[in-house]
Amino acid sequence: MTPPVLAAAGITKNFRIGRQEIAVLRGVDLSIAAGEKVALLGQSGAGKSTLLHVLGLLDKPSGGAVRYDGRDVHTLSVQKRALLRHQHIGFVFQFYHLIPELTALQNVLLARMMGHSVLGYWGQRRTARIEAEALLEQVGLKDRLRHRPAELSGGERQRVAIARALIAKPRVVLADEPTGNLDSTTARGVVDLMFSIQQERGLAFLLVTHDENLARRCDRVVRMRDGVVVS
Amino acid sequence: MYRLFLALRYLVTRPINLLGMAGITISVWALIVVVSVFTGFIDVVQRHVHSASADIIVSALPTWATWSKLQPALRDDENVAASAPRLLHYGILLPPGRRPDPAPLPGRSALNGGDQPFLFVLGIDAAAELQVTGLGDWLGAPAIPPADRADAASPLAPQDGLPAVLIGLERMQRDGLHRGDVVVLTTARFARTDDGSSVMPERLQVQLRIAGAFKTDHGGFDGNNVFVDRQTLQGMLHQDQPDLVQEIVVKVKDEATLDETAARLQRGLARALERNLQGFGSVMTWQQRNAGFLQSVEHQRALLKIVLIVIMVVAAFLMLATLSMMVTEKIADIGILTAMGGTPRGVTFVFLACGLVITSVGVVIGIGLGALTASYLEEIRQTVRWATGVDLFPIDVYNLDRVPCSLDALWMLQVAGMALATGVVVSAIPALRAARHDPLASLRGV
Ligand SMILES: Nc1ncnc2c1ncn2[C@@H]1O[C@H](COP(=O)(O)OP(=O)(O)OP(=O)(O)O)[C@@H](O)[C@H]1O
Ligand SMILES: [Mg+2]
Repeated sequence: MTPPVLAAAGITKNFRIGRQEIAVLRGVDLSIAAGEKVALLGQSGAGKSTLLHVLGLLDKPSGGAVRYDGRDVHTLSVQKRALLRHQHIGFVFQFYHLIPELTALQNVLLARMMGHSVLGYWGQRRTARIEAEALLEQVGLKDRLRHRPAELSGGERQRVAIARALIAKPRVVLADEPTGNLDSTTARGVVDLMFSIQQERGLAFLLVTHDENLARRCDRVVRMRDGVVVS
Repeated sequence: MYRLFLALRYLVTRPINLLGMAGITISVWALIVVVSVFTGFIDVVQRHVHSASADIIVSALPTWATWSKLQPALRDDENVAASAPRLLHYGILLPPGRRPDPAPLPGRSALNGGDQPFLFVLGIDAAAELQVTGLGDWLGAPAIPPADRADAASPLAPQDGLPAVLIGLERMQRDGLHRGDVVVLTTARFARTDDGSSVMPERLQVQLRIAGAFKTDHGGFDGNNVFVDRQTLQGMLHQDQPDLVQEIVVKVKDEATLDETAARLQRGLARALERNLQGFGSVMTWQQRNAGFLQSVEHQRALLKIVLIVIMVVAAFLMLATLSMMVTEKIADIGILTAMGGTPRGVTFVFLACGLVITSVGVVIGIGLGALTASYLEEIRQTVRWATGVDLFPIDVYNLDRVPCSLDALWMLQVAGMALATGVVVSAIPALRAARHDPLASLRGV
């Protein structure tokens, strides 16, 4: 078996609300190999999103370790973790989170600019643009490059978000209910698209979902309940 | 890169930010234009005042001060180029048989005196005075009609048996006087009573003949002073003190050390008179002599600066309001920016950059417009007067030929620095709020 790109061991996460401490994650082990699609299922409040944030270096775990290629990443500095997010991890969220002031193309390019200085980016702006346009074409938005998010449908917005997640060529994609806001037909289109790109690029893919059918299309299904993995 | 790009996109999609920018532009513009005019005005006033004054004036000399004692002391100073003695008196100067005009209107400033009948009569040695002050220029001023010009070589030579007097051009024209006319100086002198026990004032009327007009750039001087020959004045007033000197005007070689020279001469004064001066005798540079007047203009400039800086403060609040609104609106973007690889510091900078872009653009436009306005102020004044009949700056009152204006690079830098510093502070406040925002809050849901 290929070594895991992403491995989490004994992850715990507590939130403190006032004087009360609640344990949201209580020792989660999870690893994903390159080219592997993993579905994460669980009731609302089980801690799926929290786990995804911890795996995506957006939040620090209370205990346990997250390793990328065997390297413990939560001990790194803020800057190094940000760079890691930029270079290795792509996020897709339920609510798209596109920036309304930017066109589809600019939203994708923004992700490409991260981590570059003005001069550093200036030198490669042509390439960046060609890449972004190609990617938007691949997600079927060839004719929507100059549209603002407000001028796009939900499915189109999610496609832009997918293109944005992929522009920096990450090795891991973390998707939190990416189809939660879409009707089933649109959702299927979006999922097909994600899976085909995953296949093509050999990405490690974590898909948080409530949809059993969707989960079944993944290589592996992980179920969570009350902050632990049950199967 | 993303920070600048995003900041610019945020700004161009929010025209309300132009408000803060306009505020900065206006305050910078006003600070530059108004202060340039004032600085130019101060320069002109100083030039005018200096043109009507010697470099250094020794005044308030005691009655035992004699020219023969003081002249060598002054001549020996390394920085003194020339010096000339003066006697000072006062009186009313009118054509024979004419009564003084009514008392002058109130509110006339020292800038344009000369409508009062009471005058200072300066007794000068024309030959020496020509070496020290601008007397030669005053007599040769282009505004003086040839018929009223004095003899440049010996302007105070007796005229047809009468002592000569030189009168300011404006006063001459106002009173309808010309070269060769006779005027009467009405004054008083102090003489010992016959028994020698006390000093009594007695009336003195002297006929003088006008030898010509003079004109300095300082209207206040011209209107209030006339020149007569020192020997003549002495003969009229102080027959018993043939060598008396009451004021000495001095020309220096190097103006850069004017203050030091004045201080040195002040110390030398007592030595030369071999007596304790007991508060008599003061040596002042032309600036010190006119300090009250010059400083009042400078105080006005300082006051205006403060008033105008208030505009900048208002602009700053305007900017703070619009930026705060923007941050509140855009705080939701922080989550996704962080997910894409942003850091809290980077996100803070996006909002800081918004403020800095607004301020910098405002400052650049303000400075450009300000410099342009200041440079073409005279043209603008003429256009406005032509179009509306309103004169923004009555230059005749101040004896000027155009609106004075002096652009000071240092002041422009100071204004730019001040505006930028304000911009930094004002953008930092909402930007820091953004930095404290939890990026996950917006990612968890809407
Ligand atoms: N910042 C926080 N402070 C306190 N409690 C939190 C915080 N974030 C999450 N929680 C709690 O942690 C628990 C797990 O939340 P999480 O969002 O991970 O659930 P989820 O499995 O993603 O649910 P859903 O399917 O509804 O998205 C919830 O009970 C939630 O209230
Ligand atoms: Mg969730």
